[in-house]
Amino acid sequence: MDRPEQHGSSTNPRTRRGRLRLLAASGVAAMSLTAGLATPLNPAPHEAEAADGGKKTLTVAVAQSVDSLSPFLAQTLVSTSIHRLMYDFLTNYDAKDNSTVPAMATEWESSDDKLTWTYTIRSDAKWSDGEKVTAEDAAWTFNTMMEDEAAATANGSFTSNFKKVTAPGPDKLVVELKKPQATMTALDVPIVPKHVWEKVDDFSKFNNDQDFPVVGNGPFVLTEYKRDSYVKLTANKDYWRGAPKFDELVFRYYKDQDAAVAALRKGEVSFAAGSPSLTPAQANSLAKADNIKVNEGPGRRFFALAVNPGARTKDGEEFGDGHPALQDAKVREALFTAVDRETIVDRVFQGNAVEGEGYIPPRFGDYFWKPSAEQKRAYDPAKAAELLDDAGYEKNAEGKRVGKDGKPLDFRILCHATDPNDKAVGKYLQEWWGELGIGLKVDCLDNVSDPWAAGEYDLAFDGWSVNPDPDFVLGIHTCAALPNKPKESSATDNFICDKEFDKLYGQQLAEYDPAKRADLVKQMQSRLYDTGYMNVLAYPNAVEAYRTDQIKSITTMPQAAGNIYGQDGYWSWWSAVPADDDAGSEGSGGLSTGAMVGIGVAAVLAIGAGVLFGLRRRATAEDRE
Amino acid sequence: MTVHETTDGAAGQGGAAPRSARALARARRLHALARFWRQYRSHRGGVFGLAVLVVIALLALAAPLLAGEESRSVTDATGGALEEPSGEFLLGTDQFGRDVLALLLWGTRVSLMVGLLAAFLSVAIGALVGITAGHFKGWYATVVMRITDWFLVMPTLVLAIALSTVMARSLWTTILAIGVTTWPTTARLVRAQTLAVESRPYIERARALGGGHGHIMARHVLPNVMPLVLAQTTLVISLAILTEATLAFLGLGDPTVVSWGGLLQDAREAGAVSSGNWWYITPPGLAIALVALAFTLCGRAIESVLNPKLGVSR
Repeated sequence: MDRPEQHGSSTNPRTRRGRLRLLAASGVAAMSLTAGLATPLNPAPHEAEAADGGKKTLTVAVAQSVDSLSPFLAQTLVSTSIHRLMYDFLTNYDAKDNSTVPAMATEWESSDDKLTWTYTIRSDAKWSDGEKVTAEDAAWTFNTMMEDEAAATANGSFTSNFKKVTAPGPDKLVVELKKPQATMTALDVPIVPKHVWEKVDDFSKFNNDQDFPVVGNGPFVLTEYKRDSYVKLTANKDYWRGAPKFDELVFRYYKDQDAAVAALRKGEVSFAAGSPSLTPAQANSLAKADNIKVNEGPGRRFFALAVNPGARTKDGEEFGDGHPALQDAKVREALFTAVDRETIVDRVFQGNAVEGEGYIPPRFGDYFWKPSAEQKRAYDPAKAAELLDDAGYEKNAEGKRVGKDGKPLDFRILCHATDPNDKAVGKYLQEWWGELGIGLKVDCLDNVSDPWAAGEYDLAFDGWSVNPDPDFVLGIHTCAALPNKPKESSATDNFICDKEFDKLYGQQLAEYDPAKRADLVKQMQSRLYDTGYMNVLAYPNAVEAYRTDQIKSITTMPQAAGNIYGQDGYWSWWSAVPADDDAGSEGSGGLSTGAMVGIGVAAVLAIGAGVLFGLRRRATAEDRE
Repeated sequence: MTVHETTDGAAGQGGAAPRSARALARARRLHALARFWRQYRSHRGGVFGLAVLVVIALLALAAPLLAGEESRSVTDATGGALEEPSGEFLLGTDQFGRDVLALLLWGTRVSLMVGLLAAFLSVAIGALVGITAGHFKGWYATVVMRITDWFLVMPTLVLAIALSTVMARSLWTTILAIGVTTWPTTARLVRAQTLAVESRPYIERARALGGGHGHIMARHVLPNVMPLVLAQTTLVISLAILTEATLAFLGLGDPTVVSWGGLLQDAREAGAVSSGNWWYITPPGLAIALVALAFTLCGRAIESVLNPKLGVSR
């Protein structure tokens, strides 16, 4: 199973740019055109879901591929979201305020030395095949991750500090730690049924997608899956927290975002989130449509520029070809000072984002940190030019910055070919840095993970989804995350290794007092900001839309103003209430603008095809000579 | 011919004398050109195509004057995002607030340049392979023609996509990807013509007089396949422009260069199709179709003038 095209083996749900495969990309052309055409010309199939014996189906448009359905391997956001629905975790996050609430465990406590944790496992939960859920299942899951390296692929960072896990009784789970660990109430590890999984021989190959229905204990049971086509789950009527209101939940694939939006307009899908979110144009036009609600909430992601500080292994062996000038803190500061984050929020995200500050998005209020006035790298091109002069990069006659060795200052930036935001911001950076006299080559690739792991880049567009517990996104910047061997994929984000940051990281992991820990996390962000290897440009909002004639209500997270897709829990799909039976009015008649566009594009294509056909025919006739 | 040229040198000293073969040749060529133009003029489609091309070429050359350098800049953009056509922006704006009409003008340059260079590369490869394969025959021709066949059966677009995926995204990659995938047709055409030319008696005569391989291919075969190559080039250009637009639309072009296919790709990424922003999608599409059509019309006309076997079709 190939990993999602992103660097690093990591642990947590994240939207880090699940890349479309090449073929998908080529298919996209045709799809977007048919989307434009099909929408207005074909009558919408009336509420396909209602016809099915009164079964209520909630259909969600997704684009990201499932990397694996095995909880031991899955890393992409779509897969980890599905696991949230299939399996219970020890604890869950409250939809209101992200605080820890009981799930499979009803109570938990740590010993005085902070090294032993005891969980009480609920007694009223059953696996979907009728077996009882016991502490033994949880113990087996953790022990497997500790013993088998393959099983630790996705969530290994949670168990690497575990000494021993035992189940003294069916309702008692005891975890002994080597060192105190603050993430013990935020163990995002799906617990699997021992009686099913102990028959698996090789965890690195088992993808959990052969035997349906897949035995689970979450609010939904996985019943069907077809790669890049759909994932179907049915409601678990016996779920202890209460059965979901919809009978079926289907994740259907639309590799092209415009096609997903068209499907939403037609009522083929109930919900579309976009990947990573709907574009401003789509959101604006959907907001005007009947029976569609556009939901905008603060995002979990940050969108950043990452500098390659010189790739190296844990032992200090250097590799890759990062630009040496970027090891000069003044050069990095000059680059970031010449970036106008406000313009990026206004023009690229058109207001659907919050300006980047420290590191963790403001949505996680406890941990959110912003630089002080004197620390902040505010937009100031004049200061940037000054900094470059100081660093010894003077402008030459042609207006290019030249180093002492006489070489012009030219950087490369690694960009995800399928992410429009990367490309758009790339255009702005080229112009801002061009003014400074610095050349920038925007390298857009389908597969960025290889050059990323090999350290073959100067700068890169970077972004991670952040969990309520910040341990993971902080851990990717520690020395311990560096690779063992050159070019090997590892947990590191961009090869940062800073002693002071590491010291703070160790302290926060061992700190059980939430307030003190939050303070340490803020200090870490301050340190990270000062090293100047990361520049968080924006926190993009989640912009998503659903049909109000199919979904009556749905829980966002945070409940006040939050997102629906990719929550840190199963709240949205579990809580969704179907709309009353009589399907609302199907789209308006007549030719919409969409139709006009579709017809226009079709006409263009027809002419093009005619030309091609003419050429072809001529060519073959000539060939016979 | 060689004899004439020596007289030319000798006559030079005599002063007046018959105005030499060079002048004669020039007059003959002028005459041929005039005849070509007369016949070309009779193809209405060809004339229309040529007129369109001249206008578009002028627009492309004048783009910096008409649209201005700053119209491509995202930081200097004056409009709002995806504004509808208005007096200020005749074709509306893109998602960065840039004037779509100005971008369309700038895109003309890229499309024409890529089309011309890729077609040139493709035809150059095709002509080289075709002439050498037709001339040398034997095992060389067998091997080369099998390679040609292999390229011929490979779907052009798939091969071009594969090439532009593995290489860095730039205009040159696109040109190369189109060039190396579209040559087999030309190669087959040129080889057939080469075989026909080489079977004529004067080639045998040239060989008997000591003409080497290089001499025969360059002095006798090439001038004879040139008209065919010229017509082929014109036709391949439209194919190259379409392929360039396709690749850019699929996101395989250089994202920092403004091209027509790139505009379509930007529009798709902005969600313009489902949002009904027709002013952003339709103009680049029509422009691509128009230029491809114009080149095809010209190519057809040139072909029917130069190749009497095709008769009077227009």
